[in-house]
Amino acid sequence: MAAPATFDAGRLAPERALALGPVALLRRRIFGHRSLMLGIVVLGLMLAMGLLAYFIAPHDPYAQSLASRRFPPIWHAWIWDDPKAGWNNVLGTDKVGRDYLSRLIYGARISLLIGFATMVISGLIGTTLGVLAGYFGGRVDMVVTFLVTTRLSMPVVLVALAVVALFGSSLEMVILVLGFLLWDRFAVVMRSVTMQARDLDYVTAARAIGCSTPYIIVREIMPNIVNSLVVVATVEMANAILLEAALSFLGLGVQPPLPSWGLMLSEAKEDMFFSPWMITLPGICLFMLVLSINLLGDGVRDVTAPEGRN
Amino acid sequence: MLVYSLKRLLLACLVVLTVSGITFILTNAAIDPAKALAGDSASAADIDAIRKAYGFDRPLPVQYFDWLGSALIGEFGESVRMRRPVATLLLERLPVTMSLGACALAFALLLSIPLGVVAALKPNSAVDRVALSLSVLGQALPTFWFALMMIILFGVILRWLPISGSDTWLHFVMPAIALGYYATPAFMRLTRAGMIEVLASDYIRTARAKGLRPPTVLFKHALRNAVIPVVSLAAVQFGFMLGGSVVIETIFALHGVGFLAWESISRSDIPVVQAIVLLISLFYIVLTLLADLLNAYLDPRIRVA
Amino acid sequence: MMKQWATAVSAAALALACGVPEAAAQKSKDTLRVAWQYTIENVDNYFNTNREGILFSRMVFDNLIDRDPKTFKAVPNLATAWKWADDRTLEMELRQGVKFHNGEEFDADDVVFTLNWISDPANKVLNQSNVNWIEKAEKVDKFKVRIISKKPFPAALEFLTIPLVIYPNEYYAKAGPKEMGLKPVGTGPYKVTKIEPAKEYTLERFDGHFKGGSKPDAKIKHIVIRTIPEMSTQIAELLAGGIDWIWYVPTDQADRLERVPSLKVDRAETMRTGYIGFDAAGRTTNKAINDVRVRQAIAHAIDRDAIIKNLIGGASRKIHAPCFPTQFGCDDSVATRYDYDPAKAKKLLAEAGFANGFDLDFYAYRPRDWAEAIMGYLTAVGIRPKLQHMTYIAVRDKNHEGVTPMYFMDWGSYSINDVSAIMPNFFGGSPDDFARDPELQAWLQAGGATVDEKVRKENYAKAVKRITERAYWLPMFSFVTNYAYTKDLDFTPFPDEIPRYYQYGWK
Repeated sequence: MAAPATFDAGRLAPERALALGPVALLRRRIFGHRSLMLGIVVLGLMLAMGLLAYFIAPHDPYAQSLASRRFPPIWHAWIWDDPKAGWNNVLGTDKVGRDYLSRLIYGARISLLIGFATMVISGLIGTTLGVLAGYFGGRVDMVVTFLVTTRLSMPVVLVALAVVALFGSSLEMVILVLGFLLWDRFAVVMRSVTMQARDLDYVTAARAIGCSTPYIIVREIMPNIVNSLVVVATVEMANAILLEAALSFLGLGVQPPLPSWGLMLSEAKEDMFFSPWMITLPGICLFMLVLSINLLGDGVRDVTAPEGRN
Repeated sequence: MLVYSLKRLLLACLVVLTVSGITFILTNAAIDPAKALAGDSASAADIDAIRKAYGFDRPLPVQYFDWLGSALIGEFGESVRMRRPVATLLLERLPVTMSLGACALAFALLLSIPLGVVAALKPNSAVDRVALSLSVLGQALPTFWFALMMIILFGVILRWLPISGSDTWLHFVMPAIALGYYATPAFMRLTRAGMIEVLASDYIRTARAKGLRPPTVLFKHALRNAVIPVVSLAAVQFGFMLGGSVVIETIFALHGVGFLAWESISRSDIPVVQAIVLLISLFYIVLTLLADLLNAYLDPRIRVA
Repeated sequence: MMKQWATAVSAAALALACGVPEAAAQKSKDTLRVAWQYTIENVDNYFNTNREGILFSRMVFDNLIDRDPKTFKAVPNLATAWKWADDRTLEMELRQGVKFHNGEEFDADDVVFTLNWISDPANKVLNQSNVNWIEKAEKVDKFKVRIISKKPFPAALEFLTIPLVIYPNEYYAKAGPKEMGLKPVGTGPYKVTKIEPAKEYTLERFDGHFKGGSKPDAKIKHIVIRTIPEMSTQIAELLAGGIDWIWYVPTDQADRLERVPSLKVDRAETMRTGYIGFDAAGRTTNKAINDVRVRQAIAHAIDRDAIIKNLIGGASRKIHAPCFPTQFGCDDSVATRYDYDPAKAKKLLAEAGFANGFDLDFYAYRPRDWAEAIMGYLTAVGIRPKLQHMTYIAVRDKNHEGVTPMYFMDWGSYSINDVSAIMPNFFGGSPDDFARDPELQAWLQAGGATVDEKVRKENYAKAVKRITERAYWLPMFSFVTNYAYTKDLDFTPFPDEIPRYYQYGWK
């Protein structure tokens, strides 16, 4: 539904492009694509932060100290000479005195985990349905179309809220609910690209020489649709992360004391008037993460399908 | 066309049935309706009496069709917590949510179509890039965060706009922007892509060759064709906005369907939750059905599919 | 039905087409704009369970007797005098010359009708414990009634003070709960001019309000009550001048709002008592918590003083007995005191066989930082708590289902200054009872069955001792309610957590 983005970087003059081999050409495109590179670098940093949280974080993200709560970040010492701000808690402390920086670092884990796990679940469901519908068509296609329409007609936020409220909220629950709600785009896109791939000459040929259907789907169709898969996956991953934040905002997402950025935003919302940093910092983290994932997705689309860009 | 319409209609009905079924089963699995209705001080005997009186002891499928039958004529039972008919509650709350959805959609379209057109006229120009960057940045902002930031800036610091409530159209400005901006990138990309395609098509070239004035070509011929897919996307997005307004309504104290849903969910007020999910699904299904039929009417190729 | 749906759609179009916003500064308009966080489920007093409903009722309706909010003494209101004829019969003289908002005259028929109607189980009044003590009410003459309880019920006067308001019999018989929920009619200092259910309530001073009762005539002409669910939005409105009065402001925010020149902040201790409840009766599947040593360990693990000092602030007090200190029968000298002693907590856990801790679901609805602070202390002694943060109603329902091994809850006793409004609710065998201790139930029953103060005190003291000794509850602290409002308002908070809007005026 959305047309490809056009970031001009990576476009090569035709005569030069012809001179390069396909792999070199791809590498050229990737490294020449500034926003894609930005996405990869930021996402990589976030990933490293999440994975290495234990080594990077200056404090235990769960260690509370009621005596040192709500310390402001270090720049309050520089600008306003706030005696509470200091190097021990560079980004300050939260309402129960836990180190904000450490919580932000560990928070990367939660957001990435939710985004990734949701994407895997919904990707499995959606891709399976989409590929089956696209490859077999006919009745199978009708059933899948029906399932997709049904899913689309159920309001995601409401259903997620209701399920989480009725059956209890936890990290696993959020992932499961979102995973089972966000597969529609996978199915729609995979269905149409599979349809195109099915009619490619060599797929027809493979069928003619009697290759088995699973073989054809895995070996001939899948490589053709993997680019689109990556693009949809990034969109849904970003989507899942934002949805988790919204659920947490309403108090029905991840439960404390887990340092989810969405939860941190929610806990800091009343502080926005007098300690804006408390809501700004996790907001920026979330924004950077989602942005980097989106940039990655847009970039992959540009790089892998430059001819279809406009 | 008729066969196609009938087919689509049949599919729509099936979807409504399925959604209502899923909602009914899920809510009944989570909460005992007799217990919810009996209240907190009820004894086991009271609950049993209510279960019999209201027919909750019948098989689930029977109850479901009974409920569906009443829902078809607009009767959704009574709210457990507020002791008022669900239909009345929905009627009270619907105008606010509809207004919010309409404003949000209008905002998104008014922002994205001009941007998309300008971007299409000069692809890869500075304007194009700025427009795209804006849309990419916008899509990464958590809605509620954006809403709270607007409240600080326009409500508290500048005091240009009222913060909460739904008394006047000014009350809808911030909520509509907060709800609508998320749809903007999709609209803009679609407009842009559509315009580029149309502008490159033969009949626009012909029109230009005939010496028609550029604005005439642009608006009368090109844009009209380019926005058709945008219109059908708008129908879909409107449905999404109705379902997605929970957070926005909570923040801006808009007492619409979204807030009612959130309240009812947190109070386990099952009849209300069921009715709202069904209603929003219905909206979505009707809107997409209309959009599909419109597209089929405009583009005969679809009908064969 | 179809027609109504069509009306809704056109109303949506209208809502957009009309109006400009009103200017701020409502002192000039003699209108107090109040924001409440929770919606009143129904403004019919008997079909509502939350505090907002009590506030509303106090403005619009009247009780037979009232209570002085400072001395807690009963004072006349709709009734001018009363006495116990025997230990089940209360005789009341009624005030003459009182008019309802619709002009109906107040007399014995209204009282008899109201009390008999609400105590009839068929009418399904919520909060049955408020009404199920009434056997019947009888008219003696036009301004004299007799109220008969099923059993001797010493707390009857307390119940007549806050929860039970008197309705106009002719109007209510005709209107019923449905109409009353939309167009309530009472004798109170404010009458209702407009209700948009759950959203906005507009009240106007009732000029025919009777003299001589416990409530003065209202000072401020109009009150507009709006439901704003988000505290941050409420604060924003207060800062921007769109709202004049908010309450339940989080302590940290109250500190900051205090520094805003146009605002004033009050922190008042209330009768609301916070406690941690434990499943001592084995209702849940968590076996660890059934061990008294584990519960005692938890009691020793939590530093209540630090929580009070840092998170609650104001005049909050640490509480040892499972009730509010001023309540009759709340003898905290017999309560077992648990000091903050993590080493002892660890020792007790080890003795109970949980040296390596255990998993524990912890239910809470109050500010998350309170729950998180409590959890931090539990983690420090090796327990692995898992928070289930929900709304009040959701936690209460989970309690009734018996699935909550540990929960942080609180109770305002309906502002009734007698332990019979708190301890029997939670230890008398109700769905909230996680002790299920027959001896304890018997003491509470004995304490509630007589008007003899000495017998009552003895029994309640035994109950307090048992509850704290076996750590059925860990009483935490008294709540502080933070109010923030415009400097123009002349406001005083009360310990019973009921703002009396009719007493407040402008400066």
